[in-house]
Amino acid sequence: MAVTTDAAAGREIVASRVFDAPRDLVWKAWSDPKHIVQWWGPKGFTTTMQEMDFRPGGTWRFVMHGPDGTDYQNKIIYREIVKPERIAYSHVSGPLFEASVTFSVQGDKTRVEVRMVFESAELREKVAKDFGAVEGLHQNLDRLEQHLAKM
Amino acid sequence: MVNDRLTTTLAALADPTRRAILARLCTGETTVTELAKPFDMSLPAISKHLKVLEHAGLIARGREAQWRPCRLEASPLKEVAEWVEHYRRFWEDSFDRLDEYLTQLKSKERKHGRHHRRRRRT
Repeated sequence: MAVTTDAAAGREIVASRVFDAPRDLVWKAWSDPKHIVQWWGPKGFTTTMQEMDFRPGGTWRFVMHGPDGTDYQNKIIYREIVKPERIAYSHVSGPLFEASVTFSVQGDKTRVEVRMVFESAELREKVAKDFGAVEGLHQNLDRLEQHLAKM
Repeated sequence: MVNDRLTTTLAALADPTRRAILARLCTGETTVTELAKPFDMSLPAISKHLKVLEHAGLIARGREAQWRPCRLEASPLKEVAEWVEHYRRFWEDSFDRLDEYLTQLKSKERKHGRHHRRRRRT
């Protein structure tokens, strides 16, 4: 297990590990709501799934319950999903960051690498605006789809 | 978790000369002239780096006009360490739990697989 921060690259944290499991199974554990709640978060935490729309532009909302009773509301928007190689998402509830998860085959094992890039204060506003626009677009498309279904 | 002070600290640390200056200051306070010695840089260039470090609260400078020693201020570094520690713990624990969970999933799949084969044979 390696967790590093590269200050020179700016606000980046990288974590990686090799798992003794085939890549399809590791992918399943990340992409299926019933699996991900089983392992997500530090020891002593539990996760309540609220919504997990696993597709680009889809939202994942969940609450992490800390061992001291504190609840942490989280919201993530999936940016990119390339089965079974890569997931990129934006953590849009504080703290803001962009994450990418890559799954690579190593013999009969799977290496998972998570890269988190934290936004500078200047970027926050811009990102928030972009997300607003993307979400708005999806809502509009959803409405259009519902409307077309009724026609 | 990432506040503006942390952003300033990380920006200040994102330069090899400034990191070298901080490393030098770990051994004790010293003058700008002394600090500049190991670098192939003009005093004004070094002063510029010192201003960035001072602005980030990573160093403090003496008040005396002639002798303005620089010294390390460690508290912003502690913040960086805490920030990394938070995520280190998150991923280390999550990966531990994922590892255990994958073991469970594998044994379930194996059982399921055997069951499947048996059924196919009959």
